[in-house]
Amino acid sequence: MSSATLYSVSYFLVNYVLTHIGSVLPAPLNAWITNGDLVTGLAVLVFGAILLGASMINTIVLIWWERKLLGRFMDRRGAMHVGYAGLLQNFADGFKLFRKNTFRPREADWLGFFSGPTAYLVTSFVIFGILPISSGWNSGVLPLSLLLALAIFSFAPLFIFVSAWSSNNKYSLMGGMRSAAQMIAYEVPLLLAVVAVVIVSGSFDLTTIVYEQQNYWFWGPLFLALVVFVAGMLAEMERIPFDLPEAEAELVEGWNTEYGGMLFAFFMLADYLRALVGSILVVLLFLGGWTMPTWVPSAATSFPLAGIFWFMVKTYLVFGLFVWIRASLPRVRTDQLLRVGWNRMIPLSLCAVFLAAALVLAKCVWPFGCLPSMGV
Amino acid sequence: MWINMGPQHPMTHGLWNLRVKIDGEVILDCDPEMGYLHRGIEKISEDRHYNEVVTLMDRTCYVAGFAWEHLYILASEDALHIVPPERAEYIRVMCEEFQRIGSHLMWYAAFVQDLGLMTPFLYGMRDRDIVLDLFQSYSGARMTYEYMRVGGVRNDMPPGFSAHARRALDWLSDRFVEYDRLCLGSEIFRKRCDGLGVLKASDCVATGVTGPMLRSAGMRRDVRRDRPYSVYPQLDFEVAVADGADVTGRYLVRMEEMRQSIRIIRQILDWLDHHPGPVLADRLPRWLGAPYAPVGKEDYVLKRNYPKGVGLSSIEEPHGEAQAYVVNEGSEHPYRVKFRSPVFANISAARHYLIGYRVADIPPIMGSVDVCVGEVDR
Repeated sequence: MSSATLYSVSYFLVNYVLTHIGSVLPAPLNAWITNGDLVTGLAVLVFGAILLGASMINTIVLIWWERKLLGRFMDRRGAMHVGYAGLLQNFADGFKLFRKNTFRPREADWLGFFSGPTAYLVTSFVIFGILPISSGWNSGVLPLSLLLALAIFSFAPLFIFVSAWSSNNKYSLMGGMRSAAQMIAYEVPLLLAVVAVVIVSGSFDLTTIVYEQQNYWFWGPLFLALVVFVAGMLAEMERIPFDLPEAEAELVEGWNTEYGGMLFAFFMLADYLRALVGSILVVLLFLGGWTMPTWVPSAATSFPLAGIFWFMVKTYLVFGLFVWIRASLPRVRTDQLLRVGWNRMIPLSLCAVFLAAALVLAKCVWPFGCLPSMGV
Repeated sequence: MWINMGPQHPMTHGLWNLRVKIDGEVILDCDPEMGYLHRGIEKISEDRHYNEVVTLMDRTCYVAGFAWEHLYILASEDALHIVPPERAEYIRVMCEEFQRIGSHLMWYAAFVQDLGLMTPFLYGMRDRDIVLDLFQSYSGARMTYEYMRVGGVRNDMPPGFSAHARRALDWLSDRFVEYDRLCLGSEIFRKRCDGLGVLKASDCVATGVTGPMLRSAGMRRDVRRDRPYSVYPQLDFEVAVADGADVTGRYLVRMEEMRQSIRIIRQILDWLDHHPGPVLADRLPRWLGAPYAPVGKEDYVLKRNYPKGVGLSSIEEPHGEAQAYVVNEGSEHPYRVKFRSPVFANISAARHYLIGYRVADIPPIMGSVDVCVGEVDR
């Protein structure tokens, strides 16, 4: 594939438009408008806007996918009436929330109450700037992109706790406490599972990690790491069976009890953005990213956007797995969750790390084949 | 820290308030507060004709309307010295057993949702709808039936009801296997529910707890067998018991009760198929509610000549042991009506089975009690 990045596409667009506008303007204005700094700045903005639009649309489609899947699991049909097969239902829901009055409980802290959800949404969104979508389709070459993505991903407990604390509600506070404890406990096995991938692929760069999976995907040799990663991701995304921070049975809505209208929509969107990021990370680290299955005919592999297509298919299938888990498992209890996290998941993830190291030492991961970086 | 779980809280399944004192996640103390749904049903009943009270009974417990109708009708007939035809009694018992299935399915749906299981919730509601469809086919209503009458029931089964009911029972007994696989087959479910909310048999007796909670503690007590009423002596069934005294035990008891109810209903359907007959007593006092008595069958007994009496009945309601007390002072209205709600006793004992557990355990424990606030406050 070409080395065109999303940024270079937006740079090209901005440059093209500005040059044409400049050509009809008098000389001093022309020179100012085609100035390199301005073009770069605008290109960054356009890049951000495209990313925002794409990720938002994807998130909303993801919610639709979850609603339809859940509906089928539950012997019903899910959203049906707005748009074809209810595709526009979530846009309608979002619009409804947008129109609603944003209010703050009188005793709630102003700064924390409003900045918490905003920061939660923004940090969840920023990760999309780092994730490569297809070969070349990333914002830029970052040698430590995996580390950066996970670092931003782990900001969330802070913002959740801030919004929970500033809501001045006992249920919110308990939800915030649970959330912080849970996310911190599951951060460790999650990162250790990632270490296994890093050891085998020898890189922190997501693009390189996917490149290393050309011959075979990591889910086979690193199956243990995959299991730990998916379980940790479930806890990080606060989905059933690990959704106890917002366990509606006992905590009403957990840390977002006091939020309504657009602020609630921020939480909702950010939750699903994080779910999307989680699914994408599973695909990038374990399922070969945009590399295609071997049974795909070679003519189809060179089709434009084929990589993105396969990437999306895998992402949505992985998210479908999360939905399946949600449909069939009850919620665990806080102490059980933390015990499993510290006592079971961390040893398991350490095993995964040692297994990965052994694979690298053996130079080959028979019967799966060899890594490009391992030579023959 | 004291927190109010209610009166508007997803855990309550109704309108009551559980005040809980917590330290972190551990429950130190609790204090159930009822009375938010008090409608004065017992007092209103004193101002109604005997048959009009049936309307209120449907609203007493809105998920077990037939059981409360049956309870009240048994006490009224006792007070009024009226004997219903046998077919009507069989139909009433069938209603009560179907209602037990419906109520337990509603309980199942609400209970699993407290544990975060959304799928079985919808399965439970879907299957409860089948029971409601059957109710609708002969009483015309899905929840507020107004079907039973002093001296019988309003109307007979529609043609083809027996076949429909049998098909529904076959479907339901298959579904119970599915429920068990979704719940008992799940490791997380067992981890959450085993040894949770333990209330020993001795504590049950001391606090007046009855029904599935008592039977889950291993005590084989069921009014249908111990003090049989209506046609229960003629029916063959077993009393479901478990020995955990915990949430899992209550789950097992209710599941087994539904199976036993199916067994009872099958026997009743067989009986009904072969014993056609009237469903309302031949001669009823006209003042009992003339519009309901068959034309020409009204009895012109004067009110002042009618013998006085006191009626007491006790039935095994889906939630536990319910009792009714009706005083007939010779007027067209009951002089006094009083009920014993099993759920009131079951909730009041909350201190005995909640303290020491965690906040996350409150919904499953209270869910396993099967709270119906309508009958608690009345």
